[in-house]
Amino acid sequence: MNRRDFIKLAAISGIGLSIPRSFDSFIAPAEAAEKIDLAVAHGVSPSKITRAAINAMGGMKKFVSKGDIVVVKPNIAWDRTPEQAGDTNPEVVGVVVQMCYEAGAKKVKVFDRPVNDPRRCYVQSGIADAAKAAGADVSYVDERKFKEMNIKGEALKSWPLYTEVFEADKVINIPIAKHHSLAKLTMSMKNWMGVMGGSRRTIHQRLDESLVDLSMAIKPALTVLDAVRILTANGPQGGSLSDVKKMDTVIVGVDQVAVDSFGATLFGMKGSDLDYVKIADKMGLGRMDIAKLKVKRMNI
Amino acid sequence: MQNLRRITQGIFLLLFLFLFLQTEAKGKDELGYPIKIFLDFDPLIFITTILSAHTVQKAFYFSLAVIAATMLLGRVFCGWVCPLGTLNNIAGSFRKKHSDNISLNWHRTKYYILMFLLAASVFSLQLAGIVDPLSLLIRSLSVSIYPAFNYGTKAVFDAVYNSDIKGLVDISEAVYSVFKKGILSFQQPFYNQSAFIGILFLFILGMNLAEKRFWCRYLCPLGALLGLLSRFSILKRTVSEGCTSCGACASVCQGNASPDKKEDWKDTECFYCWNCDDVCPQNAVSFGFHPPMSPDNIGGITGGYGGLDLGRRRVLTSLVSGVVAVPLLRANPLSKAEVPNQKLIRPPGALEEREFLKRCVKCGECMKVCITNGLQPTFLEAGLEGIWSPLLIPKIGYCEYRCTLCGQVCPTGAIKKLDLKEKAKIKIGLAMIDKSRCLPYAHATPCIVCEEVCPTPKKAVWFDRVSVKDRNGKEKTIQQPRVDLELCIGCGICEAKCPVIDRPAIYVTSIGESRSKENQLLLMQQGKY
Repeated sequence: MNRRDFIKLAAISGIGLSIPRSFDSFIAPAEAAEKIDLAVAHGVSPSKITRAAINAMGGMKKFVSKGDIVVVKPNIAWDRTPEQAGDTNPEVVGVVVQMCYEAGAKKVKVFDRPVNDPRRCYVQSGIADAAKAAGADVSYVDERKFKEMNIKGEALKSWPLYTEVFEADKVINIPIAKHHSLAKLTMSMKNWMGVMGGSRRTIHQRLDESLVDLSMAIKPALTVLDAVRILTANGPQGGSLSDVKKMDTVIVGVDQVAVDSFGATLFGMKGSDLDYVKIADKMGLGRMDIAKLKVKRMNI
Repeated sequence: MQNLRRITQGIFLLLFLFLFLQTEAKGKDELGYPIKIFLDFDPLIFITTILSAHTVQKAFYFSLAVIAATMLLGRVFCGWVCPLGTLNNIAGSFRKKHSDNISLNWHRTKYYILMFLLAASVFSLQLAGIVDPLSLLIRSLSVSIYPAFNYGTKAVFDAVYNSDIKGLVDISEAVYSVFKKGILSFQQPFYNQSAFIGILFLFILGMNLAEKRFWCRYLCPLGALLGLLSRFSILKRTVSEGCTSCGACASVCQGNASPDKKEDWKDTECFYCWNCDDVCPQNAVSFGFHPPMSPDNIGGITGGYGGLDLGRRRVLTSLVSGVVAVPLLRANPLSKAEVPNQKLIRPPGALEEREFLKRCVKCGECMKVCITNGLQPTFLEAGLEGIWSPLLIPKIGYCEYRCTLCGQVCPTGAIKKLDLKEKAKIKIGLAMIDKSRCLPYAHATPCIVCEEVCPTPKKAVWFDRVSVKDRNGKEKTIQQPRVDLELCIGCGICEAKCPVIDRPAIYVTSIGESRSKENQLLLMQQGKY
């Protein structure tokens, strides 16, 4: 970038920033110039804030190229309805799928390996419908597609993981922020349990290390943390609306450690309260100290 | 007529199989068209349920249509509709033609079976479902044949998939995905006793090789019931003077109706298949409407009335056997209220055990539809009386918190239809922790799976945070799970997901089940009943 380009860009960004906030979502390319680590959008429409936050990160084109096969991985673990905040918000999933196609993706795949019956989880969460409406290829996990993978981690040396995740050109993680009795909070890094095959229940014996090992092996192009509704107790499946807190927020970043660290603040915690975030930071997977990150906050 | 009959049989068999495939969860709360619809038309289940439980589901009034049709037209149900009859028909066609036509003439046997079942049901023992053809067919398909079909099909496609032959794999996967959508089950079902129940079913089909329609002619109690009703039928067979007694009709008769013996034609054994009419070289046979008790009916036209001589002593013996069976089956320790079977975890909404057994016809629909495959046929857990009734084996599959499908498909109301609110309150048992095997208790190793998966909004599994020492004396804090017995509903997901997979460290037993007054642990529950 030469000086003239820089001045041009700076001018455009200046114009961009001077436009009222509600227009943010329409001026994505202009904002691309401003390099930020996390985009945090707040507003009543889950799809609008998701779009705005992704645009603030530079737009989906920055992460998805023309002809890409993209895996979008929501949390569809539980037989719960969207109001109960056990699974990722369907609107958020829908708009991410839509934006992938807008960026030229050839195919967007959506799947998860749920804990409850997959049929009920896919239908009751509203995710199957929302993703299909946006054109995604929604499938149930096919047991044959788990392959033992040598991930050489601290706790997990190798594990059967879902091959479609590794065969895809891009992976986008869309977790939901929830309480969890062992991890304390489950957000983006813990969402990778959904691509584990085999008897994944045993990883709780060394959960934090295992989550970092998994997150090191799977490199998402983008992480969209759904905090439209968060589950503050009786997680990770909840069930009672009194444990659900409406935050109307979406956090987008490339660094999954930073996303989780920021996510912790929604629960009145710090990233360093979460052992897996601490370990991941130490291992160099990402940055935990959000004070040092450039966070763009928006009200839509 | 033969073709028309075959087409009709085919349509009903396909309808039956279609409804059978529809009896599967799709993820929604409600099921579309369960196979239960077929049983709703079953007069044997209708009558025995009324006798044993003194109440019946409204849908069973459909079976009055079958009763009415039989009283008008005879056993057309057997010849034209019954899916098991059609399968027997098909199996019988594999029998060598021109083999000897000697019939065993055991047709009375089925009437004795019917008498036995009716007498037992009067004294509240419901055994009809074990031998009722529709119930038997649904159970055999659900528990045995369909799982085997799935297993075999999957094995073939998996073998091709693993062969890695380019091109071939693409084709087979395309076909496989069509199969998966259309006729295979969502996940491979597994059932206890599947081989046993399957062999019994295949044996019934195999008996057609000994004599065609063996089951329908000699054993089927529904056929017997319809046979009795058909005596009032006005559709009768006539044989004109042209008959040369060539005997051609005898070899094609589906039933055991002796069509060649003009006067002694057994109307109760006739399936109205029309074969004798079709085959008659003299065109001497015809079917037509004749008012019952008309002179036509008494004289040379039909065997009609009085053709069925069951014998007073044998009828009496059958009836008495049915009555004697009641105490014989029930005089066992399970009848003692203080000795409940810990493993007998009934589906949610199941009635109190005595009432449950009066209604359950062991059709296996609840097992077919169970979303986790956890509902399994009992063997002797509920006594011989309760054989093949449903029980939940959490290790195989837990009870999905927001699923109510078993109650939706139960034809007799043995399992109540619940809405989600009611379901959330019903306890089917209670979970207990085996501290000697639980990781946080016995081995100071973190594990929270039972708590994580516990579905009640306020979790029934909670943690006691305790400080423990490891082998090196190093102190650490660990969360030890405890069960809140008031909140626990006994769904068994904790047992199903416990990492100690061979003998789970948390497991459910039947105690605390809402349906029982006696099988209780908590003072609160006992007082509230």
